[in-house]
Amino acid sequence: MTLGGTFRRLRDAAVYSATSLATGLACLLAIPVLLLSGVLCLLQVGVYLLPPQLRWLGRWTDFERRRAGKRLGRTIPGHEVRPRRLPELLAERSTRRDLHWLPAGGFLGTLHGLAGFALTLLPLGALFSAGFWWVFPAGEPATVAGVPLDSWGAALGFGLPQALVVTVLAVVLLPKVADGSAKISARLLARSERDELSERVETLQVSRAGAVDAHGAELRRIERDLHDGTQARLVSIAMRLGLAERELDRDPQAVATLLAEARTGAEDAMTELRGVLRTMYPPILADRGLEGALSAVAARSVVPVELSIGELDEIAAPIEAAAYFVVTEALTNVAKHSGAASVQVTVTRDVDVLLAEVVDDGCGGVDEALGTGVSGMRRRLAALDGTLKVTSPLGGPTRILLEVSCGS
Amino acid sequence: MRIVIVEDNVLLAEGLRHLLTSSGHEVVAWVEDADAFVAAVAEHRPDVSIVDVRLPPTFHDEGIHAALRVRRARPGAPILVLSQYVEETYAGELLSDGHGGVGYLLKDRVARVEEFLDALQRVAAGGTAMDPEVIAQLLTRSHDPLAALTAREREVLQLMAQGYANGEIAGKLVITERAVHKHVGNIFAKIDLPPSDSGHRRVLAVLAYLG
Repeated sequence: MTLGGTFRRLRDAAVYSATSLATGLACLLAIPVLLLSGVLCLLQVGVYLLPPQLRWLGRWTDFERRRAGKRLGRTIPGHEVRPRRLPELLAERSTRRDLHWLPAGGFLGTLHGLAGFALTLLPLGALFSAGFWWVFPAGEPATVAGVPLDSWGAALGFGLPQALVVTVLAVVLLPKVADGSAKISARLLARSERDELSERVETLQVSRAGAVDAHGAELRRIERDLHDGTQARLVSIAMRLGLAERELDRDPQAVATLLAEARTGAEDAMTELRGVLRTMYPPILADRGLEGALSAVAARSVVPVELSIGELDEIAAPIEAAAYFVVTEALTNVAKHSGAASVQVTVTRDVDVLLAEVVDDGCGGVDEALGTGVSGMRRRLAALDGTLKVTSPLGGPTRILLEVSCGS
Repeated sequence: MRIVIVEDNVLLAEGLRHLLTSSGHEVVAWVEDADAFVAAVAEHRPDVSIVDVRLPPTFHDEGIHAALRVRRARPGAPILVLSQYVEETYAGELLSDGHGGVGYLLKDRVARVEEFLDALQRVAAGGTAMDPEVIAQLLTRSHDPLAALTAREREVLQLMAQGYANGEIAGKLVITERAVHKHVGNIFAKIDLPPSDSGHRRVLAVLAYLG
């Protein structure tokens, strides 16, 4: 190991220790504040005081996660979007992890910081007393193991070896202490495997319930469309045909009118049925798969589309349909609202995750609260345990990224 | 006319056969899949074939592929494709070989017997019959360059794209053929297309422009 490398390692470890000392002391201060706010919950005041404090603690632990993660050469996932209300905050596992970490961060952090401090200062002190023994007043010289350093002989014979020993100790121990402290932080702040599994189960339960809901709503919609539309039209056609049959001998003119009406009714019924079928599963998707269907959509788009599609292999029908729906909806939105001159649609598959991205060069500023378009996309994807990321700063560009697992 | 029907649904095939024979046409063969279609065309050399898009074994878009196969073997063989839904992509594929004698209609159109037979006649004669819905899809897409057209010119353009000749357009819009001729001239001038009188070439020009 080079001298420069050693020096850098020492410097990093010293900086880490110093930061630990600072955060540790801050933790020790934060504990009583949080406890007090907790007690104030009895008087309702704490209910308003705690959430900002907990969110702030979250930002702080995220900093700690990044710091420890960097030291250990891995990433420790931090908080995602935080809820605003106290019960929801407290229900989060990540909040509980933060609180769990706090005392450890306080005491161990402070201890580690002090140790780091000592390990940094000791070699400097020892070197100083060996080289500058003559600065000390003659009455009270610096001592090494009881031997006073009052001559160059003593300084070189005892002072220098001591400085060497202490330096070696610092070089070896300082990084180790920092690593140990980072490991403890990481262990407390990272999700445990059990937590990860439980959280996964929770999201799956939610998305499964969403899927069942979405499926139920879809069935009801199809039933209503067929019942109110197609079925009613068929009844009216049958009635007209029956009437025509009765009028056959008496009034040929009336028969002609009834037949024409029956035919128009049949045409309407077919148009309507086509509409229902299209919303259930677009026929072009059945015919040409996702790639062909998206090419057709791209060709039909008012705003020119640059479409690139990677190797997709076999994808389950509901996932294809959802991806098709989202891209179609996104392109409709682009045409309606963005004022874009071109759109890029990229669909790829990364092992068993299907990724679809729609990026336009329009004016941005998509507000999910206003339109139902994006929430409709989210609902459709939530049913498949997929996610949708929308970034749309004012002035553009708008970027919509769909991620859904298509593994078997 | 001597006609081949390619349709796997017995109900629809019977209906078509009934409609055609009662209108004085002869159904020389009724087959259910693409291979049989190719063989039937080779054997009977029909005036026109009516093909369903969805055919066995996969019930996807075999009808389109079968039509293209037949026309590769016999360029210009008149084929009318019927479908439960229309997709402009398919229309483009059918028209891509540049020969006339192509039709692409929704199955619903069969209900208007006279218009359907008319379209069939047109296809058999080497013309074109495009479903109004295909044209509508194309028109919604590239509306900007068409902004210069008047409402009447748009109507004429739609009918022209479906494959109608000037005389038929005049009849449908209840105007004189001379007026139609003038509108067509204006349309071609406004959208910068070389004027053309031959039926399917006219459609191709319009569709190529819209596409």
